[in-house]
Amino acid sequence: MKWKLIISASCLFGLLAAAWAFKMPELTAMNEDRNRNEVVFWHFWGGPDRDVVESVVSRFNESQQTYFVRAVAMPGNNLQAKLFLSVAGGDPPDLVNQDDPILADWASRNVIQPLDQITSPRDVQSVRDSLLPAAERLSIYDDRMFAVCNGLDIRALYYNQTALTERGLTPPKTIAELDAIAASFSPNPESIHDLAGAKTFGYLPDSRRLWAWGIVFGGDFFQQQFVSLTAPEIVAALTWMVSYAKRFGPNRIATFRTGDQSLPGKMFPLLPVLDDQTTGRYVLLMDGQWRVRDIEMFQQQRRQRELPVPEFGVCPLPTPPGGLSNAGWVNGNFFVVPAGAKNGTGAWEFIKFWIGEIDSGQAAKTCAEGGWIPVRQTVIDDPVFQQFLDRQPLFRPFVELATSENQYPFPIVRGAAMFRRTVEDAAYQAMQHPEQSPLEILTAAEIRIQNQLDRLKK
Amino acid sequence: MSSLPTRLLTPFLFCSPWLIGFALLFVWPFAASLYWSLCEFDLINPPRFIGTQNYSRLASEIGTEHGFGLALKNTIYYSLLSVPLSVALGVGLAVLLSAKVKGQAIFRTIVFLPSVIPVVAASVLWLWLLEPDSGMVNYLLSWIGLPNQNWLNQSNSAVSSAGFDAVANSWSGQPLKLFGSKDAVVLMSLWGVGNFVVIYLAAISDIPQSLYEAAEIDGASGWRKLLHVTVPMLSPVIFFNLVMGLIRSVQTFASIYVLSEGTGQPGGSLMMLSLKLFLSAFDDLEMGYASAMAWLLFVALVVTTMLLFRTSRYWVHYRVAV
Repeated sequence: MKWKLIISASCLFGLLAAAWAFKMPELTAMNEDRNRNEVVFWHFWGGPDRDVVESVVSRFNESQQTYFVRAVAMPGNNLQAKLFLSVAGGDPPDLVNQDDPILADWASRNVIQPLDQITSPRDVQSVRDSLLPAAERLSIYDDRMFAVCNGLDIRALYYNQTALTERGLTPPKTIAELDAIAASFSPNPESIHDLAGAKTFGYLPDSRRLWAWGIVFGGDFFQQQFVSLTAPEIVAALTWMVSYAKRFGPNRIATFRTGDQSLPGKMFPLLPVLDDQTTGRYVLLMDGQWRVRDIEMFQQQRRQRELPVPEFGVCPLPTPPGGLSNAGWVNGNFFVVPAGAKNGTGAWEFIKFWIGEIDSGQAAKTCAEGGWIPVRQTVIDDPVFQQFLDRQPLFRPFVELATSENQYPFPIVRGAAMFRRTVEDAAYQAMQHPEQSPLEILTAAEIRIQNQLDRLKK
Repeated sequence: MSSLPTRLLTPFLFCSPWLIGFALLFVWPFAASLYWSLCEFDLINPPRFIGTQNYSRLASEIGTEHGFGLALKNTIYYSLLSVPLSVALGVGLAVLLSAKVKGQAIFRTIVFLPSVIPVVAASVLWLWLLEPDSGMVNYLLSWIGLPNQNWLNQSNSAVSSAGFDAVANSWSGQPLKLFGSKDAVVLMSLWGVGNFVVIYLAAISDIPQSLYEAAEIDGASGWRKLLHVTVPMLSPVIFFNLVMGLIRSVQTFASIYVLSEGTGQPGGSLMMLSLKLFLSAFDDLEMGYASAMAWLLFVALVVTTMLLFRTSRYWVHYRVAV
């Protein structure tokens, strides 16, 4: 009995000693951290991106004597409600990263602070001047900097180079060329049998992408404080998109599109599924820079299995006559500092570190690790990022597009969420009912959005 | 012997955890939402009293194809189809499962099993089942000669002018695309019918055997026994499930949120009242408008339930002890 007691006590002691030894470095770090000002940072990244975020945070913490960033992964769903409760309760985080079009709503309701309240206007202006045009647009509300964009999401046109070369075609530069390529690879719309059995379409417009095509056609969704969905360029863009629904039938398009969702592992539909195929569900497809990673993995797997490896390319969205070149719809991630944040200055230091205001090399490393598009030209020009682009040639067109003056985000206005939903509903309705007039559908949507914006202004 | 005030107070002290919880988590939000429904309130700034403007706005949207009007229309469609179908299917399954056959317990378990699967998991499963090109539902429909339906990618619905047009067009050789996203959600709602079946089974086992024996002596067939004995004797339970099903159908949220990725798409066809309310409150930051919507919904449910109670005297038969 006595021996049992001694053995148990020894085991317990051993366990405690092991736990203490294991935790020692962490405890030491915590003691060191206590001497610095904590910056609580909410972000929504998960998966491999989270590792990149933690790497940035760790590099910042190592570089700092004054501040210590504590990153808190906060799922994106209902982040708004959580933040509002924390602000209303007087215990907000010091820094939040977001990617929804909420800037105007949060700024006008004093949920976030203008950045010139936490640091000098000259400092803010310096950061503002260094941002690419698209990044600057995502950071400004009411001509005041409320956010700092820290990563851009650019859309461009992916194409299957192998499929185009086989038919002697080149990547499209104009809408007419895009239509011709689309027709070349799509089923015969006159044949019900062809349509029903089609495995590939050259191209199919997605109703949610009116935001991009409207800009490419030269339109602006919000002009001089008024909703302008009925601008001729936006009507022309939607009419062009609807022409596909007219040609192939809205139901066939809807059915085919749903098939994209059921690909194994939500695979990029440009990529072929079967080993003997070199063409996927589309030959041309609009998507963002994150798909470069998918293409690279796909090609690597094919090489390993000694299968034919199709080549892919990326080009800017083709334009109609009079359209905007290198244009499109952009969104991105941005930092905001909530009202009542206890350590705004620490948050500002971290923002500057992330975007490369302090050291472009650090920001270049972050962007290369995450496959993210920098927001400053100096980071793009950094040798670390240039080496990344040399390794990832498909990424380069996205970076070039990011520097264009013609990349526009959702309008930064109050009620942006409703604005976005209503435009997408209108585009969907037009594509689902090609017999209806796009102008009439857009007019109705424009009135609804304008009424809502007017109501919010009161 | 303790004093009278102490004796009066003691029971309340024992109940106080519940009373405090009830007051804080139920009465207070209830009262606050009534006040907010008369305010402009964005969750962060203090509510600003605006009278009945939120209600006027809701009234102006009724009958339109957007906002509250669209959500109301979608919800009515969903409730009118899902509630009667779940009652019919529930009663039908309960009658079958009450038959004394080998493996009865296994069949009952199979019917109840979907009810214990979390809604989110079930919704993801249904996304696969309803996939137009390779989903199992379309595969089953192909047995009766129906072409692939677009389900969650089509805003049209079967019981509508568009549905009738689709049937008419199919006579001229066009493929019959009948079902849309709302029909998909109705179909999904039947997945959880096992909860109701359990209640029906309990009620069926409670029906006196003598009634069936009397019906048999009168020469009633199985069908007539079902119509004239089982269904009337089940009517109080059917009534209960009808009311509960109606309330549940109006509150359906999780499955709609998952299927439409929180957008109410395609084409606003999945914008049900619960989702509209959520988006208005937490996306559009119009808590006052959302509260007014919630109150309108509450009143509509109370009125509908009262109407159901009024009609119940004509079709609900309560057993009288002799």
